[in-house]
Amino acid sequence: MADLSRRGLLALAGLGAVGTAFSWDRLIAKDIPGRDTDALTVVILGTAQDAAARKNLVDAFRGKNPDIKVRVQGIQGTDWSDYFAKILTLVAAGTAPDVVLVATEGAQLFADRLAHPLDEYVVRDQAEIQEYFDDVHPALIEAFMYQGSLFQVPIDFNAANIYYNTKAWERAGLARPADDWTVDDFLDASRRMARSAKGSFRPFYWTNRLWGGVVPWLYANDTSFLTESKAGGGSWLWDKFYPDDPSSASRGGGFQWLEPNAEDPRVAETFEMLRAMVADGLASSPAQGGGNELVGRFADGQIGMTPAGGFWVDGLAAGGMKPGDYDVQFFPRGRVQRHQFGAAGYAILKTSQRKDEAWEWIKFCCSREGMQMSIPIPNTTPTRRSMVNATFYEGKGPEHWKVFYDTLDRFPTTAPIPAPPQQAAVETALIKNVVGILTGSAGNVRRGLSGMQRDLELALKEK
Amino acid sequence: MVTTDLAAPKAAAPQTRRRTHRAERLLAVAFLAPTVIGMALFVLLPIVASLLLAFFRWDIITSPEFVGFDNFVDIGADPTVRVAFINTILFVVIAVTLQLAVALGLAVLLETKMPRLLASFFRSAFFFPLILSAASVSLVASYLFNQDFGLVNVILGWVGLPNVPWLTSSAGAVTVVIAVYVWQNFGFSFLLFVGGLANVPREVYEAASMDGASGWHRFTRVTLPMISPTILVASVMAIISALQIFDQPYVLTRGGPGDSTRTAVMVIFQSAFRELEFGKASAIGIVLTLIIIGATYAQFRLSRRFVFYQ
Repeated sequence: MADLSRRGLLALAGLGAVGTAFSWDRLIAKDIPGRDTDALTVVILGTAQDAAARKNLVDAFRGKNPDIKVRVQGIQGTDWSDYFAKILTLVAAGTAPDVVLVATEGAQLFADRLAHPLDEYVVRDQAEIQEYFDDVHPALIEAFMYQGSLFQVPIDFNAANIYYNTKAWERAGLARPADDWTVDDFLDASRRMARSAKGSFRPFYWTNRLWGGVVPWLYANDTSFLTESKAGGGSWLWDKFYPDDPSSASRGGGFQWLEPNAEDPRVAETFEMLRAMVADGLASSPAQGGGNELVGRFADGQIGMTPAGGFWVDGLAAGGMKPGDYDVQFFPRGRVQRHQFGAAGYAILKTSQRKDEAWEWIKFCCSREGMQMSIPIPNTTPTRRSMVNATFYEGKGPEHWKVFYDTLDRFPTTAPIPAPPQQAAVETALIKNVVGILTGSAGNVRRGLSGMQRDLELALKEK
Repeated sequence: MVTTDLAAPKAAAPQTRRRTHRAERLLAVAFLAPTVIGMALFVLLPIVASLLLAFFRWDIITSPEFVGFDNFVDIGADPTVRVAFINTILFVVIAVTLQLAVALGLAVLLETKMPRLLASFFRSAFFFPLILSAASVSLVASYLFNQDFGLVNVILGWVGLPNVPWLTSSAGAVTVVIAVYVWQNFGFSFLLFVGGLANVPREVYEAASMDGASGWHRFTRVTLPMISPTILVASVMAIISALQIFDQPYVLTRGGPGDSTRTAVMVIFQSAFRELEFGKASAIGIVLTLIIIGATYAQFRLSRRFVFYQ
């Protein structure tokens, strides 16, 4: 091997220096998309294709705001928690977006640590935006209030309604359940479906381990796994935007979930009922729920009922279901008929240098034109009441699509899934214990709930 | 003059040697630099950062706050972390034992009983799962072991056996996680054993046979001692790998039901990327690293008594 002379080494070093200079932007990550760009960066949960699919929305926005460049970035996540963790990593890496799509699961996490309140903007532009509030149920707005301030303007939502397979229902000789059907009616229908079916049919399947899991049942039994209260403040919004709404008086500055409530006797009662459903073969284990697999099973007629919102309509149509093959009804009544919902909207990050432009984006997205472009198909439910109409569900939707928005209008105490700022730890504590309790023995329910109480106490202690 | 003339070449020789030596050193530095810089930036620096981070509370948004040994105290008091470590150790004991036993058994079978062509096929077939992504394998397994619609329960139903809650009961979930892990990983130990068996001299077996040793005796008195260095290497690697199990339980059960399949690396992931407690995650990582170092050291110490070098 040839020796390397000093001159040779210097030449190599020189080459290295030139190479380094040429790749400097790459080395210091200056060329990472979103860094040092003059565009408003909007992050959504989804793939690059999902982001690209918003081109019409961006073009329409730029038509009205030609000075504001917009870059929509899709961030993939297995669930909202995964997506939130990735957003936080972007913030830490110095590539914080300006606007982030956040669901109720992360609303308080963002409000507490990252998001900028929208109060001054909505008040300033009330004349322009009042028609949005007139069209949107106040429960959806309240879900995005935190300690008296508004942090997001919701664009879409989904409440936990019951989807039922009409063939399975008819096979069991059942008629459409009444609007005020009870949990006992639900159990009776489940037993009749189980008796009339063969093979691996399940009368009830869980949507996932959290949303559509145990919480709707807890709400129907007038309880929850966390205590619920309302923060002070917020009257500025209710007085200004919802002066004639009768429910405004009961609304406040946002939900608070401050203490664990897993040892409440009503929680135990609910879990015991759900455990018996699993043990009797009426329901699957909650660990098994979720995703496209569930859509396929429901479309194949292997599942009788499942809790889901309007987001399922398009998936079922894609799975081959015709409008008459299934229908929706309100969640059954226990002590009350309170429903659970989840919603999503855009938040402006505190770190954004383009807050005014970000607000223009939010305002456009919640306008009728913007929302129609954001939600062209029934893969979620628009927050505007006027958009939840026959045209939207034509050819795909269930006969009783009105159930989706009536859930809010007829049950005004309907509330978001409990998600305090410590959402990730709370979700872990819930998921960890739910499966064990629901698939264990009857004697294990109270012990399991005590374990959940301890885990929730630890989770809520986190800063 | 003469002195000068004679002295000049004598002085030039060491100077040339020094120059050559320096050139060689420069060459070595030039070749080593990229690797050393890469290792320093991407291995050493993160290790040092992780060590330091264990003494801070940091959520990646706000500035790190020095908390001394609080993170270590926290993980000691956290029942989930304790259970995760106990699960990991139990998993290592069961999974590694199974992995080595299956791999050794199949290696011996292939080397002694199988026609050469068939043996070649199985050597590739057994290694194949290792090249697959653990997440993909686990995803497929989650469909196979689904309680309501999974193929495994369907087959059990055909022979009149009841539906088994594979992924929703503690025993079932642990069984599936171990089975999937062992199925995917035994191929590596298997290849090591095949190599080890190929190095055992035929004459030793012939001598043992002539002395009247049965097949079992040849295996226990000849094969095992002769491949004991391979067994040591295979077990060290299997234990280090098993202590870091993450993909299979994460995809199959997310650590449940309860905490029954939660492992040490899962709580590191959970603490860091879900709860944004990077200090606590680093502290758990340090404890896991110490356990890995301890286990490896113990194995090498024990090997002095059990490993036979030719």
